[in-house]
Amino acid sequence: MSHLRSGFLWLSLLLALGCTRPAEERTRRDLDVGHVRSSALDVDVASGLAAVRALSHEKLTLWLSAPSIDLSLVAHEALQLELSIENAMPTVELSDLDAGQTLPVLSGANSTKKSFQLTLTPGTRHLRLAAPGTAEKGRFRFALLSDVQEGIDRIQDVYRVINAQSNLDFLLGAGDLTDEGEDDELAHFQHELATLDVPYYTTLGNHELGERPPPYQQWFGRGNFQFLHRGVYFTLLDSASATIDPLAENWLDTWLANAKASVHIVAMHIPPLDPVGTRNAAFASRGEAAALLAKLAEAAVDLTLYGHIHSYYSFKNAGIPAVISGGGGATPEQADDIGRHFVVFEVDASRGIISTEVVRVDQEH
Amino acid sequence: MRATRGSHHVVLRGRRWNAPTAVRASVARVRAVAVSILLSVLSHSLCVAAAEPSTKPTTNVANATASPPAAPLTRDRRVALGAAIVPGVALHGAGHYTLGHKKTAIALLIGEGVGLALTLGGYATLRASGNSRNLAGPAVAATVFGAGLLLASFGADLYGTLANDGGAVELMPRAPARFESEFGYRYVADPHFNYGHFIVESLTLRQGHFRFTPGAWFATNSTNVRYRVEAAYRFLGLTPGDLGKHDDHVDLVLGGMHQRYVDEHFQRSGLEFTLDTRFDFAHLGATLRGSFIDLALGYGVAKVSYDIAGLTLPADTDDLLLAKVGLGVALRGRAHRGSEARLYYDHRHDDYAGGFLTPGRISGVFGKFGADLRWFFTPRLGVLLDAQVGSAMVGGLSLLLRDGNLSAQGLSP
Repeated sequence: MSHLRSGFLWLSLLLALGCTRPAEERTRRDLDVGHVRSSALDVDVASGLAAVRALSHEKLTLWLSAPSIDLSLVAHEALQLELSIENAMPTVELSDLDAGQTLPVLSGANSTKKSFQLTLTPGTRHLRLAAPGTAEKGRFRFALLSDVQEGIDRIQDVYRVINAQSNLDFLLGAGDLTDEGEDDELAHFQHELATLDVPYYTTLGNHELGERPPPYQQWFGRGNFQFLHRGVYFTLLDSASATIDPLAENWLDTWLANAKASVHIVAMHIPPLDPVGTRNAAFASRGEAAALLAKLAEAAVDLTLYGHIHSYYSFKNAGIPAVISGGGGATPEQADDIGRHFVVFEVDASRGIISTEVVRVDQEH
Repeated sequence: MRATRGSHHVVLRGRRWNAPTAVRASVARVRAVAVSILLSVLSHSLCVAAAEPSTKPTTNVANATASPPAAPLTRDRRVALGAAIVPGVALHGAGHYTLGHKKTAIALLIGEGVGLALTLGGYATLRASGNSRNLAGPAVAATVFGAGLLLASFGADLYGTLANDGGAVELMPRAPARFESEFGYRYVADPHFNYGHFIVESLTLRQGHFRFTPGAWFATNSTNVRYRVEAAYRFLGLTPGDLGKHDDHVDLVLGGMHQRYVDEHFQRSGLEFTLDTRFDFAHLGATLRGSFIDLALGYGVAKVSYDIAGLTLPADTDDLLLAKVGLGVALRGRAHRGSEARLYYDHRHDDYAGGFLTPGRISGVFGKFGADLRWFFTPRLGVLLDAQVGSAMVGGLSLLLRDGNLSAQGLSP
């Protein structure tokens, strides 16, 4: 029996090393994004679609994760508050939903960074930040850019080409903005974003997990979220740990139900399946990958977008068109003849995905 | 909504660029598999070439003794164990060297060197090629085998320094049984699936060089089921009824698998082939008798079909690299032939355990880690303890029953 006893001991030790929910804490932190309490003011951003960067008696700073957000402010005392927003669509307006009026911009008209002056009396104020027309169904263009990592010092080349695109509503990111996800790298990334003419709505990648806990959410908001733009649903998922946490999967069920009758685009960093399976730059479990894809297919998702692989692939998974684009500047996949790039999509809320255009940044390719 | 799914088109700005096609990917995969198999055969050949030839297959191994050490630096095993750790962690074989087993020490040092070269070479290839679709498979296989050899040479030094044989040689040779069956239970802890409890059954039949093993896992608390069948041909190694000094083998294994996830609306059916090898460390020195390394390399391809009411979806084709490294020892004491304990790494991502997850930057690439222990407490009856850690945790116990006709081999217990 000594063999059995020692066997049980060793096998138990091995099982103790296991980690089946590496993204659990990070996913739970999503619930805190956009919600801050202070003695003077409580801030609640609906669905956590903005990160509260700073809050004082004089100023509230938000980093937006979506084209339009609703927020409620509960003032405990009379306040003169500057509302500073970053990563906004340049035409965004601030509406006071209680008074039914649009508030004037204090600074930053036609910029992704702007501010408004608010006079708050004790009580609750409901506000909406949205660009005109974002609530109406229509046709628009957005771009996908992922995997910048060590290419951050050359990112202005990419932003110049993006800025030259006409009629882009926003840039969508599928993670790996930085190399390690440390504060100074995230600050650097934000600094470089200042020249981009459109907002960058993104989730995180595995390269944002170099520090524990990762500070990403304090800077750029939730890893799992959904927003609606011109009648098209966008769902971004945190697959940075090669899995989707079960808590986020529960949220996904609701988001898929929301969008079932609409055009729906789902983005995440690590793809469920790698088109080159022997490489497995994909979910750790092929079973989980197929189960997720079956769920997306059943909910009639129109397009899946991924990063992580530093190249461009266009394929289908569970019959859903899929694009992998990791052309933000990280070490490229060799011999793929593509180099730094981003992908522009034209979408129509009534017709679905109209076109996909790969735009290369480096002329030598 | 999916009204225009089939109509969207891809335009590339600048000069024309051909998007990766299925043909291109297939060629890359075939190339990757070919290089991987070459690597496997090469690494096994290196091991065999380094081995002492076994010219007397009927040698009574129970009487075999270690060749006397040449001018040992110490006879104290505790000192040797210390040397096996420092500087042994950097210079594998240091423990054997201090005990005077210089030939074994050099073999272990060579093993370390080969392991280091494969690991660094594989990793450097992945980095330099940006994880290229053409090189990732062979590079990952080289890294897995390299890391396995590194651990093996260090572990073998510790084993040989500590072990005083203790009857291990009497447990060998270990010709496989003609018939073996397994019936057991596994618990699978996977937060993504409702299943948990499984009944596991398999049957192994051997005739000469051939082996046939059908098996299945049935979930008792869900509709999930996995069927698997293997047919193998043993090119090298003991077959039922053989006598032999060592437990090496080289098998070519063809496998088929079908797995149904009814609740999750998909099923997975696959084919695979694997070159499955075992190298007995006794070739490197008598002190290492009873220890071995398992290396397996192969390629699998699966069709993932989706069963969603009202939708007709195309199946996904999903291929995978199969690479496995295991380090094991024969059990001593009250254990019959074929009793062994093993730690292993298995690169596959498609079974219940999935691949290993970490809270840090690197997840998805790793396969699963596992340990198993086969203990035959009678010539016919035994138990199998099994634990696997990947994105899920798997653990359980099986009852093993095998052909007890071992006396016909002249090896009666």
